[in-house]
Amino acid sequence: MSFFPSAAWLKELDEKHQLFTERLEDPLAFEGGQFHFSAKDNLCARDFQARAGSLILKGYRPPFDATPIKRLRENGGLLLGKTNMDEYGFGSFSTNSAYGIPRNPFDIERCCGGSSGGAAATASLIRDHVALGVSTGGSISCPSSFCGVVGLTPTYGRVSRWGLIDYGNSLDKVGLISRTVRDIEQYLPVIAGPDHRDPTSQVQPPLDLRGEVRTVGVPEEARTGLSPEVAGAFEEALRDLQRSGIVVREVRMPSLRFAISTYYILATSEASTNLARYCGMRFGAMNENFDQGFNDFFSDTRSRDFGTEAKRRILLGTFSRMVGFRNKYYVKALQVRKQIIRDYQKVMEDCDVVLTPTMPFVAPRFDEIERMKPLEMYQADYLTCPPNLTGMPHLSIPCGYAHGMPIGMQAVAPHWQEGTLLSFARSWEGSFHYRFPEVAE
Amino acid sequence: MDKETVLKVARVARLRLTDEELERYAADLEDILTAFSVLDEAPGAEDFDLGPIKVEDVFREDEVITSIDASELREVMGTKEDWVRGPRLS
Repeated sequence: MSFFPSAAWLKELDEKHQLFTERLEDPLAFEGGQFHFSAKDNLCARDFQARAGSLILKGYRPPFDATPIKRLRENGGLLLGKTNMDEYGFGSFSTNSAYGIPRNPFDIERCCGGSSGGAAATASLIRDHVALGVSTGGSISCPSSFCGVVGLTPTYGRVSRWGLIDYGNSLDKVGLISRTVRDIEQYLPVIAGPDHRDPTSQVQPPLDLRGEVRTVGVPEEARTGLSPEVAGAFEEALRDLQRSGIVVREVRMPSLRFAISTYYILATSEASTNLARYCGMRFGAMNENFDQGFNDFFSDTRSRDFGTEAKRRILLGTFSRMVGFRNKYYVKALQVRKQIIRDYQKVMEDCDVVLTPTMPFVAPRFDEIERMKPLEMYQADYLTCPPNLTGMPHLSIPCGYAHGMPIGMQAVAPHWQEGTLLSFARSWEGSFHYRFPEVAE
Repeated sequence: MDKETVLKVARVARLRLTDEELERYAADLEDILTAFSVLDEAPGAEDFDLGPIKVEDVFREDEVITSIDASELREVMGTKEDWVRGPRLS
């Protein structure tokens, strides 16, 4: 498909960007506790479309703010815009969006990671910016690692999901991405806390930003399958931690090898039911052909407007829940998730956090991604799926660079202990020299 | 995973797939499900939860509020004479 930009379209684009940069450069706009933030496009906000990367939501303008957006706005936040993402969060490279592909600020031939790719790129490019991201199976950690920024995925239930376009209800978490831990510490208390509109947010203990990390556990299972660059940077980071007085303990977590299968079965099962609501009625892409029977009416819009990966995950999830397969896949995955949670809890009896690299490789080039099979893409998430399954808070922070590309490490803390992660990241940030993309400086 | 099974699943999910799509998804799902059969080796458990944390009932007094103005919702939904439009139930 070829694309010829019209003069009007280019002018519109230019004006849009000019408005954006003027806003950022105007020091008066951000006086008196004001700040700017962006939101992943699966979070609903007044004044913007919420499309979640999907054609089926084109034109949908929610008449309300998602709770995290509402809380940031009420506290002086100026929402600059929505950030691009894989359709509904279905992807690890942000290449599955109906609205273009964000490019990595460190190398535009490479991806941003996914699915909060636009959020991580924005956080990497704009100083003092905080980006709202959403993670189901690693969608905050992965792009944070690829774009060289800090990404916090809070405990499941810490931040209200009201106004979030669901992917997997037992897995979705709203979090923050920024250049430094400082910004995350500042805005986490704003978005966290109970909300009567999300029952999972009601059981949380108060947020405590304090914590201490003396011992980190490094699972043997997470040290295999890494690219030489990532393995090298991670081992160097472990040596730095030891030099700073932290005890690094090798641990075994045998259930980690089941995490990918468990995650993809649970996530797609939940997604396939959530996506049943997109059928050409009520919002987004509207089917005007009312004379059809309802099966044809629903199938028309869904077949035309869901992307390739969305259809794949709907099929996988629908199959996993079908009579005859439900116990083998869905119910078994629920049982295994519980075992994975227990494995983490056991390691955490002796360690303050579990530490691994975030992704097994640096941001891949687009031509490399094109050659990957769907299963290979899923398998790339073997380090980010496990903590997401457990609902435990985790944080990805840059730990090295290879050939100019950032590498991240991921710390996981027990449920509700975001403070432990922030304290760990603060102390790491004290001695680690961040690099930011040249284009932004 | 053969084409016929994909077709059956697609019908349940209200997706109409082309022949090329049926073939592609059959091959993809075969790959994926073969890899996922590793779960057969995982120990089962007596109990499981539907979510990763325990959720408890929290009660409050009912309070009448306007959450979202109904006229705004009607506008978003593209209603006609205040009716939500949909297909025939045939």
